[in-house]
Amino acid sequence: MVQLDEVTTFGLTKNFGDLVAVDHVDLSVPAGTIFGLLGPNGAGKSTTTRLLSTLLRPTDGTAVVSGFDIIESPVQVREITGVLPEEGNHTIYPSLTTYENLEYFAKLYDVPVENIPERIEELLTFMELWERRDDKAGELSTGNRQRLALCRAMLHRPKILLLDEPTSALDPIAAKRVRELILGLSKQYKQTFFINSHNLPEVQRVCDRIAIIDKGKILLQGKTQELRSKLLAKQKFRIRVVGDIEKSSSIAKSMNFVEDVKGEVDSILVTIEDPTENNSTLMQSLLNDGIKIVEFAEEEATLEDLYLEVVKGRDA
Amino acid sequence: MALKVSYVKYGLIGTAAIGPIMVIATVGLFVFTAPSPAELYVLMQMMSPTISPMLGLVAIIPASLIAANALVGEREQNTLEPLLCTPLTDRELLVGKVLSSFIPSIVLLLGSILVSEIATISMFLIAGFQPMLFPDVAGLVLLLTAGPLMILAMNSIMILISGRVARVYEAYQVSGASVMIFILPMILPMLTLDATGGIDIEAVWLSNIITIIIAATLFVVTWALAFSRFNRDRMVSLV
Repeated sequence: MVQLDEVTTFGLTKNFGDLVAVDHVDLSVPAGTIFGLLGPNGAGKSTTTRLLSTLLRPTDGTAVVSGFDIIESPVQVREITGVLPEEGNHTIYPSLTTYENLEYFAKLYDVPVENIPERIEELLTFMELWERRDDKAGELSTGNRQRLALCRAMLHRPKILLLDEPTSALDPIAAKRVRELILGLSKQYKQTFFINSHNLPEVQRVCDRIAIIDKGKILLQGKTQELRSKLLAKQKFRIRVVGDIEKSSSIAKSMNFVEDVKGEVDSILVTIEDPTENNSTLMQSLLNDGIKIVEFAEEEATLEDLYLEVVKGRDA
Repeated sequence: MALKVSYVKYGLIGTAAIGPIMVIATVGLFVFTAPSPAELYVLMQMMSPTISPMLGLVAIIPASLIAANALVGEREQNTLEPLLCTPLTDRELLVGKVLSSFIPSIVLLLGSILVSEIATISMFLIAGFQPMLFPDVAGLVLLLTAGPLMILAMNSIMILISGRVARVYEAYQVSGASVMIFILPMILPMLTLDATGGIDIEAVWLSNIITIIIAATLFVVTWALAFSRFNRDRMVSLV
């Protein structure tokens, strides 16, 4: 018998009338990983999450979540998944207190009654909300409401957490805190995370596996580090200079091994083919033309580069 | 926008109060102006089939409003998705939502009946008459059988509609139209009055039985519809 990953989709498709929101998606997420589904707005990320959480029924294909088929066993899938919907901070009951919000959902998730107080205290303490337990949820800040929504998703100790844009609408500090929480939760509870995001740096910081989706189709998927190395064979360098940036850019552009040049305030960003051979040539040319080089350093390839590379490749 | 809890609470109490106020006003008028006890008892007997169903009607209206708000209200409040992500089955969700609108409605109905009966007996005693029930036994049987069945039927169909519209106000508009269908059988006993205002007590019981049968049929049909048409996918697609 074939051992499936924690989340495996088979030609998962969802149409809304003529619109194909998710188009024959095949994904594989091993247990215990933090998986990021990347894509622009309207790419099909939220629809994929809603399909996996059984909120939507696929038009074609299916998915197996921890051994349960989303079409055949939707109730079992919902029992083992915790969901943070898009704009999760808006999805709590504002007239209930922080504690009551969790108590209500603990009962709906069939958490044994005797375990509910302990479970709520543990989560609220972990999320630093225990002191706010008697406050109306509507009075909490956006960041705290998001944390409360995360607590709600964690209440029944799900094996898989489906988080839809977990840091959207959060200020940078709150977003950082949520990222830290995801990493902390992953470490402490060993759960599998399936995160939707269009925030590339965020995914880069948190996820160990990614897939890129656009117009409902998966463009690529794999381990974050491997994909970065595989796709970004050409390296990017930042050359910080004293003097004329435009002149520096045009010198770089004149080199046939330089693929791309971007001028910034005090530096140029150049993409170079075979940098081991060509870096010294470029450096020499700049020096010969009187450009003073302050720094010549490799830029770490980001997921943004990867994303643009993939989308550019598809459009071509 | 979803209804605020306080608006719902006071709105329901206000609506439910209409029934007992009507009963108390009618009974009070007859008790304190009746020329003789014999005429009073005849008048009360005639009024019972007309006034009693009103207590049922005022309980159906809040039931339809609460039920109309049930799912579309959650959607407007953005709390529908987390609710649908819980392991509740469609049937459990439907029954839960129906009960959440049925319980306050039935409490309002029973409260209205109790207040009406206590007020009637008190007024009869104050005026020095032998007390009687108002609603009478036929009225009570109608209210305690057809009433809950109608409320349940109304609720199940309204919950179904609530899951299929995008805005609370759309649900209210549909509920306004639907409630008429459910009100009609409840006014059947009023038709037992003849042209002279006299009443045939056998016709009252017959009309009660017909009303109960209609209510039971509506209950079965609406629940079958609700169970077969309840659709999570459609609810989420509207989000």
